[in-house]
Amino acid sequence: MDFTLKLILQAVALLAIVGGSLFSLIGVLGFIRLPDVYTRLHAAGKVSVFGALLLVVAAVALESLGVGKALVLIALLIIAGPAVSHALASAAYRTGVPMKRVERDDLAQARSAPLGPGLHGADSSADLPV
Amino acid sequence: MLAYARLVLICLLLFLALTENVELSNIVLGALIGILVAVILKPAPESLSIRRLPVALFNLARYTAWLAVDIIRNGIRVARIVLDPKLPIRPGILAIKSDMKTELGIALNAHAITVTPGEQVVEIGEDGTLYTHCLDVVASAAGAEAAQRTRRRLMEGIFE
Repeated sequence: MDFTLKLILQAVALLAIVGGSLFSLIGVLGFIRLPDVYTRLHAAGKVSVFGALLLVVAAVALESLGVGKALVLIALLIIAGPAVSHALASAAYRTGVPMKRVERDDLAQARSAPLGPGLHGADSSADLPV
Repeated sequence: MLAYARLVLICLLLFLALTENVELSNIVLGALIGILVAVILKPAPESLSIRRLPVALFNLARYTAWLAVDIIRNGIRVARIVLDPKLPIRPGILAIKSDMKTELGIALNAHAITVTPGEQVVEIGEDGTLYTHCLDVVASAAGAEAAQRTRRRLMEGIFE
C-alpha cells in the first residue's frame, strides 16, 4: 500500500516535471522568436505562471513541501501572474510601444473615435500609435 | 458582524494552511491573529447570505474546471504557433464586451482572459469593454463571442 502510494506520487511528480519543463521550454522559445513586446509578454507571462505551477506540484508530490503552502503559493501565482502581464502590456501601450505585424486594433479605433469610450487615467492620446 | 466573521475565517484558514498544524493552540493563535487583522482592517458591512455559499462554491468549482480546460486547449494552440517554423501569428487587439455589473466581476473576467494562453487584456474601457491583445486575432475573434457567453454564464452563477 505504502509502496503503491509512493509509486503514484512519483509518477505524478514525473509528469509534472516533464510538463512544466516542456511548457517553460516552449515559452522561452516563443519569447525569443516572437517579434514585439505584446506578443513576447504572452510567452513570458504564461511561463512564469504555469511552468512554475507544475514544478510546485512536483515539489509537493516528491519533496516535503506541504500541501497547504503549495496551495497558497499556487493561488498567489495565478492571481499575480496575469496582473503583472496586464500591467506591463498596458504600460507599453500607453507609452506608445508599436505593435509589429498588426492585423487589427480595436483599441486605437476606440481612442480615435470622437465620442468613443474614454480610458481610465490616460489624458492625452496624441502621442499614441495609430 | 458577518463581514468580520468572514475575514477572521479567511485569515484563520490561511494561517492553518501556511503553518500546517491543526493543534488547538495553533488554531487559537490563528483566530487571535485573524481577530487582530479584522480589528485593524474594519471590513465594510456587506449583505451576504450563508445559504448561497454552497451554490457559489459549486459554481466556482465548475468555473475553475472550465477555465482549466480552456487553458489547456489554448496552450496547445499557442504551442503549435510558436513551434511552427513559419511562425503564423496574426497579432491584434480585439474589443470584447464584458457585461459584468460589478468591478469585481469585470476584474475576474479580465483575469480569466489574461490567464488563457494567447489572449491578454491590455486596457479596460470605462464601459467595461476589455481590449484584448491576441496572438491570433482572427481565430480569437471567431471564438471570442461564444467563450465570453460561457464565461459570463458561469460567473453569474458565482455572484448572484
